[in-house]
Amino acid sequence: MTAPVEIKHLFKTYTRRRWFGKNAEKAVLKDVSLTLAEDHVLGLVGESGCGKSTLCKVLLGIEKATSGLVKADGKDIAFLSKSGFKKLRRVMQVVYQDPYSSLDPRMNVRQLLSEPLDIHGLEKDPAARKAFLAELLASVGLSETQLERYPHEFSGGQRQRICIARALALDPKILVADEPVSALDVSVQAQILNLLKEIKKARRLSMLFVTHDFAVARFLCDDIAVMYQGRIVERAPAEDLFTNPQHPYTEALLAAVPSADASRRADGNGAEEASEHPDRAGWPCPFAPRCRYAQAVCAKTPFELKEVFPRHACACCVMPFKTAKSKSAV
Amino acid sequence: MTQSAEPILQVRDLKIDFSADQGILPVLRGLSYSLPKGRVLGVVGESGSGKTVHALSILRLLPPAARISGGEILYKGKNLASMGEEELRSVRGDKISMIFQDPSASLNPVLTVGEQLTETLLAHRKLSKRQARREAVALLEKVGISEAEKRLDEYPFQFSGGMCQRVMIAMALALSPDVLIADEPTTALDVTIQAQILALIKQLQRQSGMSAVFITHNLAVVSGIADDVLVLYAGLCMELAPAAQLFENPLHPYTQGLLSSLASVHKKEDVLPVITGHPPVPGQILTGCPFAPRCPHAFDKCRQECPPLFEEAGRQTRCWLREGK
Repeated sequence: MTAPVEIKHLFKTYTRRRWFGKNAEKAVLKDVSLTLAEDHVLGLVGESGCGKSTLCKVLLGIEKATSGLVKADGKDIAFLSKSGFKKLRRVMQVVYQDPYSSLDPRMNVRQLLSEPLDIHGLEKDPAARKAFLAELLASVGLSETQLERYPHEFSGGQRQRICIARALALDPKILVADEPVSALDVSVQAQILNLLKEIKKARRLSMLFVTHDFAVARFLCDDIAVMYQGRIVERAPAEDLFTNPQHPYTEALLAAVPSADASRRADGNGAEEASEHPDRAGWPCPFAPRCRYAQAVCAKTPFELKEVFPRHACACCVMPFKTAKSKSAV
Repeated sequence: MTQSAEPILQVRDLKIDFSADQGILPVLRGLSYSLPKGRVLGVVGESGSGKTVHALSILRLLPPAARISGGEILYKGKNLASMGEEELRSVRGDKISMIFQDPSASLNPVLTVGEQLTETLLAHRKLSKRQARREAVALLEKVGISEAEKRLDEYPFQFSGGMCQRVMIAMALALSPDVLIADEPTTALDVTIQAQILALIKQLQRQSGMSAVFITHNLAVVSGIADDVLVLYAGLCMELAPAAQLFENPLHPYTQGLLSSLASVHKKEDVLPVITGHPPVPGQILTGCPFAPRCPHAFDKCRQECPPLFEEAGRQTRCWLREGK
């Protein structure tokens, strides 16, 4: 059985062309390998600029990979023709962050939801189309009576529901969700998170879920990959990552998440001293300049994502060794 | 809430309207609180709740379409809402200062950081340029920017988002104000940077003993920094309580709903408890309690009449369920 999404040694470099002098190159994704297992939710977590959205763009075919293999639904997307991509769109759909800018303001809900069906020639019979749209809307918690309305008549949460319905119209197997709740109001986020979990279960979707919020990732994801500056620094089943984080960056991220939990308020927000070591900039490990565990050995050890526990990979030459040792001592 | 002798900032029944195509839209519908010296008030609300408008109104920085239609904003007994521009200028930056959400957009891109920092100092204090520069270096060091002397001559684009926010904080604190108003100061930042900035604000606030109004949509952020928390919804205060009590025992159904709907990093839930529906848009005609349409405990009275703030044990709650408690 092939995995819905398989990415191997993906590199993506943006080149800024200069009129004079050398072109400037910026590597955004460096040797990224990922597998999205069937019926799983893979969370891609990282801070702004770490490359998580670029990864989505490459997977969706919006950007071309510089090198490496990207397979979606068993097909290498580098070799897909235009019609091949069109077919792939029925299998793989996307929900974006901002439901305000991702819906055409001049189309009503019926048109918005019918567009993908028209393009792919599905549900042509008017009666069947009507029933299909009603069912689709119901599945995202909206009602048939809202079909003739326009996006501006809906709140942010409802618009995101429309975006989700539009993505589901073609009954895809893979859903790419790029920060789908971060633009929403706090009281509405939980609704959309529950909805995503529900439809994932009901439709047996495989989902690539991009977020910067660990709390959201814990709620929804089966596996998590943590990215830092274009590299994956840790990859593990979600529960393992939260209970036993290995990489110093994951640890720092988890400690920085503010908590409204009454019992955890006392220990503050876990802010770490801002330690900047610009002298470590050239080291193989991208996190070294901010790392509090960095040692001389980090300067020499090449960057490598190694399995430290079953299915739990970490790219740190100091940490796994340390925790493995302290574990055996217990 | 412990009431020290004289509140430094007092807001009384503040009302703000926006004029729009649809007519006059009330955005803030009577907000009252008092901020004692040395305390931090967290104001929490969703978009459209009026939290930013309230922040801007304190220094009278409202956009032209908005208007203070009632109430008072008292700084040490003087009403900022009716103060003349001239007098107001001596308050802005000097006595009350503000930091905004997007640090890189709040700095002037064509001036060096040093020029912007010394500008504030030179405008309000009788200092020579050299003295101002020395002061600016000290300020940058205070907010944790290394090689301050060198970085003064750099431009904002040479600073990261977190560093820009540090500069903004340095500017806001340059004249040791009595009150700092922080409008979503960490929303545009990454979590690790957010934690650093929050710790910095808290540390500086403690050192200088200034008061602060900290505005955010994120309850978790406010929990670490605020002494008291005010929950805004549809332009009304729903609940005002000391932070520890609010997070341990929220009394208003809206606060309860907000707190329980937050996903947690500390455990994995199967389903998140939700608040159904969505917040009202400004201008929507509301009868009764604005939260009633989404409230699981709403009864007839809630839909007909908006509850007042009921006081009990040092906290205020706008809910009929708290009547006579």
